[in-house]
Amino acid sequence: MDKRIRLVAVFSLLCFGVLFLQLNNLQVRQAGALQHSVHEPSTVTTSWNLPRGDIITSDGTVLAYSTKNTGGTGYVRHYTNGPLYADVTGYYDWVQQAVQFGIEDQYNSYLVQHESSVHNLGDLLTQTKGTDTVETTISAKVQAAAAAALAPYASGAVVAIDPTTGDVLAMYSKPGYDPNQLSSADGTAINKYYAQSVKSGSGLVWAPLNNGVTYNLTAPGSTFKVITTAAILDHDPSLALENVKYTAALKLPQTNLQLHNFAGEVCGGTLAVNLWKSCDTAYGQYGLQLGGTNLAAEADAFGMDKQPPIDLPSAEVSVSQFPAASTFPSNQPSLAYSAIGQENVADTVLQDALVAAGIANGGKIMAPHLMAHVLNDQGQVVASYKPSVWLNATSIATADQVRQLMLGVVTNGTAAGVFPPSLDVAAKTGTAEVGNNNCSSDWMIATGPAGAGQVPKVAVAAVLPYQPGLSCDGTGAQYAGPIVAKVLESAVGYAG
Amino acid sequence: MGPVTLAAVTRRVRPRLVGLGSVTEWARARRRTELGLMFVGGMAVLFAALLVSLALSNELPDNAIEIIVVMIAIAIYVQVVNRWLIPDADPVIMPVALVLNGIGYVMIEALDPGEAGQQVGWTLLGLVVYTAVLYMVKRSRDLERYRYLLLGVAFVMLVAPLFPVIGRAPGNANAYGAKLWISFHSISFQPIEIAKLLLVLFFASYFVEKRELLTIPTRRIGDHLLPDLRAFGPVAVAWVLSLLVIVGEHDIGFSLLLFVVFLSLLWVTTGRWTYVLIGLALFAAGAFLASHLLGQVDQRITNWLNPESTYKQYGGGYQAIQGEMAFGRGGLWGSGLGLGLVQTGAVPVVTSDFIFAAIGEELGLVGSVAIVVGYILLVGSGLRAGLRARSDFAKLAAVGLTVTLGFQAFIIMGGVTRLLPDTGMTLPLVSYGGSSLVANYVLLALLMRISNEGNQTTTVPPTPRWAATKSTASATSA
Repeated sequence: MDKRIRLVAVFSLLCFGVLFLQLNNLQVRQAGALQHSVHEPSTVTTSWNLPRGDIITSDGTVLAYSTKNTGGTGYVRHYTNGPLYADVTGYYDWVQQAVQFGIEDQYNSYLVQHESSVHNLGDLLTQTKGTDTVETTISAKVQAAAAAALAPYASGAVVAIDPTTGDVLAMYSKPGYDPNQLSSADGTAINKYYAQSVKSGSGLVWAPLNNGVTYNLTAPGSTFKVITTAAILDHDPSLALENVKYTAALKLPQTNLQLHNFAGEVCGGTLAVNLWKSCDTAYGQYGLQLGGTNLAAEADAFGMDKQPPIDLPSAEVSVSQFPAASTFPSNQPSLAYSAIGQENVADTVLQDALVAAGIANGGKIMAPHLMAHVLNDQGQVVASYKPSVWLNATSIATADQVRQLMLGVVTNGTAAGVFPPSLDVAAKTGTAEVGNNNCSSDWMIATGPAGAGQVPKVAVAAVLPYQPGLSCDGTGAQYAGPIVAKVLESAVGYAG
Repeated sequence: MGPVTLAAVTRRVRPRLVGLGSVTEWARARRRTELGLMFVGGMAVLFAALLVSLALSNELPDNAIEIIVVMIAIAIYVQVVNRWLIPDADPVIMPVALVLNGIGYVMIEALDPGEAGQQVGWTLLGLVVYTAVLYMVKRSRDLERYRYLLLGVAFVMLVAPLFPVIGRAPGNANAYGAKLWISFHSISFQPIEIAKLLLVLFFASYFVEKRELLTIPTRRIGDHLLPDLRAFGPVAVAWVLSLLVIVGEHDIGFSLLLFVVFLSLLWVTTGRWTYVLIGLALFAAGAFLASHLLGQVDQRITNWLNPESTYKQYGGGYQAIQGEMAFGRGGLWGSGLGLGLVQTGAVPVVTSDFIFAAIGEELGLVGSVAIVVGYILLVGSGLRAGLRARSDFAKLAAVGLTVTLGFQAFIIMGGVTRLLPDTGMTLPLVSYGGSSLVANYVLLALLMRISNEGNQTTTVPPTPRWAATKSTASATSA
C-alpha cells in the first residue's frame, strides 16, 4: 500500500508539473500575444464603473441612457421602451459586465467613457473625458407601427429600409426580451429573468435573444421569384416572352416527383401573369430553363451567400443561403425548387428587404445601416454614416421592369387588396412550406411609392414563421400582408 | 507533576504536563518549526495586506492594527490547539493552509471588501470547527466505527439541495447553473462540501474491510482470474452516484472529484489496475453521455475548446478568455497587488472560481507558481501522513483527504488556465466561500489527527513506560 501511496504522490507531482508548464505558457510564452488580443479589456473597457452615452432615434427619442447606481457603485443602464427596441440597442449585461448585441456592442467605443476628441485650442487645455451619443436611423413612429402590426403574433419579424440610403427605419421581431431586466444592478433578478424568459424560448418558434430580422433564416418561398424574374431578364430575356403551359403540376427531371402549385391551382402563360399569380409550376420551369449557373449568379448578385454589411456585431447577422451552382447538374429537382425559394434556400428578413430595396433603387442595393450620426457631449457631430452601394444587383432597366411586374402583383395578383388603392406599391408575396408539417411560413416584401416617376421611400419585408394560431395553409398576403402594409403606410406618411 | 525519577534518568524526555498530553522533544521541535513557518507566512500575508491598501487608497489600512492582532491571535490559537491536542502532527500543513487562506483574504479584500469581512468570519468559524473535530475525534479509528452513519449523513447532505423548501435555486452569478445550496433563512450552505469528506471516510473504511474480497481473484473467466463480481458493485455505485449528482445538481466538478478520489482509493487498496481501467472507461462513457444530454456540460466543453465561438453568449466563453487575458497581463512579475484590471470586474466570478486568475494577474507567474507550490506542500505532507499512519484505514483516509484537496485545487487551477474544462469549483482555502472554507478546515483537522498518530508511533510506541523511555533515548541520541 505504501508503494502505491508514493505513486499517488508522483502522479500528483506530475499533475502540478503540467499546471506549472501551462502557467509558463500563459504568463511568459503567450503573454505578449494575449496582451494584444481583441478581447483584452484594457483596450475595450466596458466597466460598470464608467458612464455610457445615450442611444437615440432619428426623431430624438432616447432609447438607452445610464444613471448613477443609487443602491451601490457604478452606473446602471436603462432602456426606454426596452422590448420595443431590443433588436436595435442590444443590452449591457450586468452579470457579465459586457455589452451584448446591437448598437451597444457595435458602437461601444463611442458609448464608453473616453478622451474627448480635440476640436480647438481650448480643448487641448481642458482635455476631458466624455461619452458620445449614437443617433440611429430608426424612426420611433415606424418602429411603433411595426410593433403594433406584429402584436397579435408570438413570432415574427419586420424591417423597413430606405432604399436610396440604406437607412434602417424600423427593425422589430418577436419573441423579444426586455434589456432592462438584463442590465439592472441585480444579478439574482437577471439570472431569474434569463432562466425563465430568455434562455431557450421553449415552446416558441424563435429564441427571444436572437434578432429575428438579421439572425433567423426562413425559406423565402415565392418572394424569391423576384430574383428569378430578374435572372430571366438579365440572362435569358426570351423566356419572358414564352407562353408557359397551363398546368397544376410540373414533371421534374431525374425523379418521379412532380412540383405542384399551391392549393392545386392551374396556371401558366406569360412572365407577368406568372409573377402576379405566383405560379410555381411556371417558375419551376423557368428555373430549369435558366440553368443553375444563371440562377445562382443572380441570387449572389442580390446578396445571397454574402454577409450583409449592416453595422451590427457579425455574430447576430446570418448569411442568407442559396445552393451552389455546382450542386444543380446532379440535382435538377432542387433547381426547380430553388427557383421558387424552397428547399435549401433560406433568407433573413433583412436580406429579403434588401432585394426589394435593390429593385426600388434601380438595381443598386445600398449598404443597410443603423447609425446616422455620433454626437459628442456638446452635441457636435463626431462621425456620420455615408451611404454607400453594397451591390450592383442588376441593371436599371431590369430593376424597373421587375418593379412594374411587382406593381401588378398588387393590382392584379396575389397581393390584391392589401394596400390602399391610392398608394402605388410594388410587392411580392411568399408562402414557404417548411418543416415536417409543411405548414406555411408567410412572407411579403414591398416597396412604395413605386408608381411611374416616383422614388420609393421605403422597402419593407416581413415574415411570420409557421406557429400555433396561424392557419396551416395561410398565405403571405393573408398574414404578412397587413403587417407590411401598416409599416409601409407609416413610413411613407400615408394617412388613410 | 510528572515522574521526576524518569526525567532524571533521561533528561531528553520532558515530564508530562498536566492536561496537555505527553509532549516529547520531537513534538516540541515540530511545533517550534510550525511556529517559525507561521511567523514567516504571517509576515508575507501582512505585507500583502498593507500593499493592497497602499495600491487602492495610497494609505495604510484603517484596520491595520486589527489585522495584526487577528493574525497573531490565530497563530497563537493554532499553536495552543496543536500543542494541546496533536503535539506530534506535521508542522508544515497548518502554516501553508493559513498562508493560502491569508493570501485569499488579501485578494478578496481588494476585489470585494464585503465578502472579505465574511471570509474572516468563516475563517474563524473554520478554526473553531478545526479544534472541535480534533477534540471529538481523538483517534482515527473512531471514524471507522461509524462508517454507515457517515454514509447516511453524506447521502442526506447530497440530496438536500434537491428538496423544495431548504434547497434553493442559484441566487447569484457564482452559483450559475448548479443546484448546490441549501438555505435556512439568510444562511446558505453547500452541504456537498461536507458530504465529500464523509464519503472519503466511508470509502476508506469500506475498502479496508473488503480489501481481500476486492483484491483476491476468485472467479475464473476463460484464462483470467477475476475478483468476485460482487466486489465491482461499489465501482458501479460510485459511478451511478456521481452521474446522479451531475444530472440532479449539475455539478460536474464534484462528480469528477468524487470519482477520482474513489478510484484512487480503490487502487491504493487493491493495487489492481483493472479497477482503474474499468473506472476510466465508465467515466468516459458517463462524460460522453453527460455532454450530449446536458446543456451545461456541453457548454463547458465548448467554452474550453472553442471559447471564441461562445464569447458573446450568456454563460459562454467570455470568462475563459478573460481568465487567460488576466494571466497574460500578469506576465512574470504581475501588475502588483490591487493594481490589476481584475479590480474593474474584467473577469467574472473572480473572488471564488476564478480567484486564481486574479492571483495570476496581480502576482504574476511568481505568485501563481507559489500558490501551486503551496498545494504541492500540502499534498506532500498529507501523503506523508498516509505513509506513516498506523492503520490501513488511517492510510486510506489520509490519501483520500489529500487527493480531495489536491485534486480539487488542480482541476480548478487547470480550468482557469484552460488546461482542463472549467468545472466551477472553489480553489481550496483561497476562494471566497464559507462552506468550502469550513469543510477544508475539517479536512485539515482529520489529516492532522492522522499525522499525529503516525508520528507518535516512532517516538512513543504503545509499550510500557520504561520501554518507551529507552527507545526514545536511543533514538534521539543516535
